[in-house]
Amino acid sequence: AQELRVQSSFNSGDYAYQYLQEHWAPKLEEMTDGDLSINIMATGAVVPYKETPDAVAMGLLDGDLTAPSYFTGRNPAFAILGDLTAGYDSPQQLLDFCREGGGEAALQTALDTIADGQIHVVGCGPYKREALVAAVPIRSVADLKGIKIRSPEGLAADVFQRAGATPVNLPFSEVFTALQQGVVEAADASAYVNNDASGLNDIAKYPIYPGIHSMASQQFTLNQDLWESLSDEDQQALHEWFYAAFEDLAKAVHEQDEKLVARDKAKGDITVIDWPQAERDKFREIARQAWSDYAKKSPEAQAALQANLDYMKKIGLMKGDGDSASQ
Amino acid sequence: MGIEVVTLLIVLALLGLMAFGIPLGVTTLTVSVATSLIYFGPKGLFLVASNVYHVLEKYELVAVPFFVFMANVLERSGIARALFDSMSILGGRARGSVAVQTCVVAVILAAMSGIMGGEIVMLGLIALPQMLRLGYDRNLSIGIICAAGALATLIPPSVVMIVYGLAAQVSITKLFAGGVIPGLILAAIFVGYILIRCRLNPSLAPINDAPEAALPLRQRLKYLKGAVLPFILIGAVLGMIYSGITTVTEAAAMGAVGAMIIAIILKQFSYRMIRDAMRQTVLTVGSIIWLVLGAVSLVGIYNLIGGISFLRGVLEGLDLPPLAVIAVMMGIVMILGTFLEWIAIIFITVPIFAPVVVGLGFDPIWFGVLFAMNIQIYYLSPPFGPACFFLKSVAPEGVELQHIFRAVLPFIGLQIIGMLLVLFFPQLALWLPNLLFN
Amino acid sequence: MRLLSRLAAGMDRLSAFIGYGCAVLFFVCILLSAFEVVMRYVFNAPTQWTFETVMAVCATSWVLASGYVTQRRRHIAITMIELVVPASVWRKMELVAMVVAVFALAALVWAAWEPALMSMHGPERSGSSFNPPLPAYLKPMLVVGAILYILQLLSNIIHWFEGPSTGAAVSAGSDHQFADNANHANRERDV
Ligand code: NA
Ligand code: NA
Repeated sequence: AQELRVQSSFNSGDYAYQYLQEHWAPKLEEMTDGDLSINIMATGAVVPYKETPDAVAMGLLDGDLTAPSYFTGRNPAFAILGDLTAGYDSPQQLLDFCREGGGEAALQTALDTIADGQIHVVGCGPYKREALVAAVPIRSVADLKGIKIRSPEGLAADVFQRAGATPVNLPFSEVFTALQQGVVEAADASAYVNNDASGLNDIAKYPIYPGIHSMASQQFTLNQDLWESLSDEDQQALHEWFYAAFEDLAKAVHEQDEKLVARDKAKGDITVIDWPQAERDKFREIARQAWSDYAKKSPEAQAALQANLDYMKKIGLMKGDGDSASQ
Repeated sequence: MGIEVVTLLIVLALLGLMAFGIPLGVTTLTVSVATSLIYFGPKGLFLVASNVYHVLEKYELVAVPFFVFMANVLERSGIARALFDSMSILGGRARGSVAVQTCVVAVILAAMSGIMGGEIVMLGLIALPQMLRLGYDRNLSIGIICAAGALATLIPPSVVMIVYGLAAQVSITKLFAGGVIPGLILAAIFVGYILIRCRLNPSLAPINDAPEAALPLRQRLKYLKGAVLPFILIGAVLGMIYSGITTVTEAAAMGAVGAMIIAIILKQFSYRMIRDAMRQTVLTVGSIIWLVLGAVSLVGIYNLIGGISFLRGVLEGLDLPPLAVIAVMMGIVMILGTFLEWIAIIFITVPIFAPVVVGLGFDPIWFGVLFAMNIQIYYLSPPFGPACFFLKSVAPEGVELQHIFRAVLPFIGLQIIGMLLVLFFPQLALWLPNLLFN
Repeated sequence: MRLLSRLAAGMDRLSAFIGYGCAVLFFVCILLSAFEVVMRYVFNAPTQWTFETVMAVCATSWVLASGYVTQRRRHIAITMIELVVPASVWRKMELVAMVVAVFALAALVWAAWEPALMSMHGPERSGSSFNPPLPAYLKPMLVVGAILYILQLLSNIIHWFEGPSTGAAVSAGSDHQFADNANHANRERDV
């Protein structure tokens, strides 16, 4: 079989990485009748995490399975497509948006602005909803006021700022000691299962779950020439493989999250906070203002947001006219 | 050509170029460039450019110039000299007392620095000239500073443990807790070694023959005044980290400000002193950074040509009892540590080792602590021994890299002993994290 | 040859001058970090810009110090062979080492050139909330640093042809020995 060398954004010990390696990497060979196999490499294994599009475009990597939000600095559209802060309620909704609601096309347009048509989007979508790590109880939008929260990324920092929190731009290498000692009181990190594994919940005992802010999307891309060299059947199989893998992975991560949350609730030394729906709606309303301001930064971002809003309206996530992008 | 042959060729090329006296950053850069050109043609150079550039965005390296500058100010303002005079008198007529106290200071510094480079450079600037001045054996002094300075990796906070914890997805807080006792044990081993060596060979460490040193302990205490200000500084920096005022990196900057304040208090502050300290910092940090810049791209290239698959094959081919598998892994890390950069080692080994360790039923925290201990060995082991390079970047005239390499060898032996202790008695690493978090 | 010597001397001065400038940049980093601590802890108003600014200023200082470090011959190398081989052989090896370094760094310039140009299109930004054009600044800086390194290496090669073993005296330079001014450095080289 032809081996696809793909750099991911996973750490090698991530639950999701292990799960994909074990359950889904072998399936690609089955699904393509032995034509293709996949070698999923950990983040930074070949090039730094922000540089995968160039490596894919040049054919050094065959593809990437990584977070579009890493490329926000090249086009603001990637922030919208990578993580529409406080946007969707479940990974399935966003996976459906990518597959059927124009998400893939919007991502392809954004990638074309930086890679000159050399990258082909096979699929996109999230596999997890992030839990917010907090060292103090935050039970409502009002509680966010004055909270120092580690949030280096553009859109998320903007949303938190609008909600009254104080975003602090810290590199991840400083987060652990900063949280432990109280330099910051909360931090964006990862899914509950990952935060549990890296020990963040041991030092910040008031995690918000389900999270309120982040549901980071992933992209699965291949080098354009390579893509064109594949048979129609194999192209279709890759597409199917990605969505099947991510839907299954999202389910598995969710089950892990639920299991760990139940354990921590029973044990009692960690207080898992769940925001009431009214507060979540209030927070999304604040976020919506941030989205539409942010989308003004590039035409691709504007188009990406409009596609999202149209889809959210269609599935009933967005009340009202839903065209705040053009305000 | 098989990957095993290529691996061998890469190692031989690195060794050959190093032996030629070519700067080490250029050595690794040359091999990276050549390998990527051979395998991927001109476009392969993107692997070099992108990885080199990424170093410039590594925030944790920002602490290095802060520590170097702090040490330069302490050294130039005479504070370091006063500190070691005080320590020497406090130690009285005990043989090797200043060396032992240097170990203690290193442990305290390790608790305020997350990176090994900052601590080695500080000790190299402050302690090494003073120990030589007091008549201590050069090899012993160098070895202590490199070995004790590397404790910054094992005693929290530690950037190595953070990167390892993120890569292997194990609790970083538990890793921090797990490193404390092995770190103290290693320090105790170093102290024991110093005392034994000095007993066997008194010429290594002269007894302080100043009349003050002969006074009873209570009267010697008043000579501690030279140590007061430096310890207030260290205390303030530690206090700022552990009370949540600053992050670890910012604390290093505050330490630099604090060192200038002390110089002002002691009326040693001058434009010239600050200027020279700053320029010396540029030379030290510049040589360190260009070394790192050269070394970072090799791992990406090696991964892409199948290095990981090769190592995985080696490991899977073994038919050994579980503890022996762990020992083999430690051996591989140790070998890689002689010629690769530590982030490269983590990238290559963790994806292969982490699942195996869990599969064999071992505690990943214990393995993480072993890994960090092994990274300490990497810091010292020639030819690619960063602790040696960092010390060389500030060492007094006449101290060459080969002297440093020779001096650290016995301490590598001590580090291996410490690692074996933790290998056979996992509770040394696991007792504290279990106590705190379970 | 005289023209080359003068060019080399000029490069020495330029490297030292840039090196002194880098020293000022480190000082700025320290002050900025202290400023951020005060803003966050005392005024409870952390800035969004100091962290990335400190990184940019520090990185500038690191890469641009290349010429200064090379001029002072402070790059870290293993010189064990010097004790084994005759002095004349070692001297030739020094030249080879410098030539190899020129080629390796030229490859780095070549490699980093296009990413640097690409990053200035746009320009490429960091993507944070402060969102400075950090890559568009640092990627070209890397090229500049590598070029300074090469130019100083060429200058050192010219000095090599000017006369034997000028390097050793300078390379050992401990902090006290060079009082850090260009005159002093020149005097050492003239020995
Ligand atoms: Na430490
Ligand atoms: Na080593």
